Amino acid sequence: MGPTATVPKTMKAAVFCGKRDVRLETRPVPVPGPGEVLLRINLCGICGSDLEAYKYGLYQPGIIIGHELAAEVAGVGPEVSGWEVGDRVTANDVVSCGQCRYCRRGRPSLCDSVTMPGVTTDGAYAEFMTVAAKALFRLAPGVSDIEAALADPSSNALHAVRRSGLGLGDRVLVVGAGPIGLLTVQAALLAGARMVIVAEMNPARAKLALEMGAAAVIDPARENLDFRVADLTEDQGADVVFCASGSPEAMGSTFTLVRKGGVVVPVGICEQPVQADFLSLVMNELEYRGTYASYDEYGLALDLMAQGRWRVAPVVSGVIPLDQIVEEGFEVLVRPDTKAAKILVKMR
Amino acid sequence: MKFGSLEYAKKLQEVLNGDAEHRRLAKGETDSYLFVLEPEPAKGVAERYILGYAMANGKVADVWTGERKTTFVLSAPYAIWVDILEGRMGPIAAMTTRRLKIRGNILRLLSGSDSTLRMVELLRTIPTEFEGQYASIKLGAGAKGA
Repeated sequence: MGPTATVPKTMKAAVFCGKRDVRLETRPVPVPGPGEVLLRINLCGICGSDLEAYKYGLYQPGIIIGHELAAEVAGVGPEVSGWEVGDRVTANDVVSCGQCRYCRRGRPSLCDSVTMPGVTTDGAYAEFMTVAAKALFRLAPGVSDIEAALADPSSNALHAVRRSGLGLGDRVLVVGAGPIGLLTVQAALLAGARMVIVAEMNPARAKLALEMGAAAVIDPARENLDFRVADLTEDQGADVVFCASGSPEAMGSTFTLVRKGGVVVPVGICEQPVQADFLSLVMNELEYRGTYASYDEYGLALDLMAQGRWRVAPVVSGVIPLDQIVEEGFEVLVRPDTKAAKILVKMR
Repeated sequence: MKFGSLEYAKKLQEVLNGDAEHRRLAKGETDSYLFVLEPEPAKGVAERYILGYAMANGKVADVWTGERKTTFVLSAPYAIWVDILEGRMGPIAAMTTRRLKIRGNILRLLSGSDSTLRMVELLRTIPTEFEGQYASIKLGAGAKGA
């Protein structure tokens, strides 16, 4: 291994052990292999996919989870250049091979050989982790650790908006105002949306949506969402609908919320079957465009943060210590009436 | 025995039904599965193998080779199945990274992840022969150190 900071032999880590089972364990500090660096993790955000895994058991037991990280380089493995101990970084959670047909066609999110730190390999709810150097992004001096820990969800939102082909002046509906939904509101406005309407039942999250620039927030439990969207879009429906909710009902509702010829981008992770109105899809020539993770947009998100053009503060509800990751993190976020959006975990 | 053969399927039934832990984890399960081993002609695996089994009350009630309508279809290139059986890739990780393609209600499938993990542990004990460039890999009683 190349130059390294002084690191201990063991570290604390949050390990996924099954459904509703995340445990703190002591693990050896990993050693970076060829092409890898050792990171000292400062902060790591709890992602919606971590919550789905917590609820339904979607990850491999034994994995240290966590991938929305802010860190500094603590060691450099063989065959790595350009990185030094102390460099402030974040890392892409999609590490693509660069060689498969999808990578060669510019679709690294679809890589055939993808590895995903915190999902398929050990991740960042730990004091240290190793990651491929090619996944790293350097943080500009003006980018805080909190912003860096939001780089992943921010880039996912930007990727979703790119995938939508959203045009200047479009009317947008975002269903679900969790962290990704909130950041998608911001991304849509940045891309030139005329207005962004949000559908959200949770009052705390509805308030955050307005803070992020939503023109209106509709509670689908109290109002008829189709009628209200029609009122706000001259009876046309939204030009683009982003479904940032993982509920099958929300996903199914998008078929009639979008205008004829419009685009729907399912952003949320929905593992259950969805009732799909294919008659509307066919007769209205709707386009459904999946979006998964992100890649190029990491650099974009960090640039926007450095320029002061990307807000994350409204999305962050709290910073908790690692040893409270279950009680003050996962268990708070899985409650349907939670007031929290994004919770960050600090390692030291 | 050859991976993907009817002989292998019957051994799968024997091994799973003989394991008290798997019976406990799969208690009440009644789903059916197809495992589709996609060919890799460039690596000497010329054929597609399809192996199926049906659960009834937590035990493997029926096994077969060939297509049938099942609750779930899990398909992947032959290499991915080898990686899973060798332990180089976890089955859950294979599903979440889409290396193992799933047809069926993925949430329902993953809700049985404990029994899936136990099943893969048990499959690793079956003396298994692979094809093509994977022929040198031996699992189960024929494996080095087993």
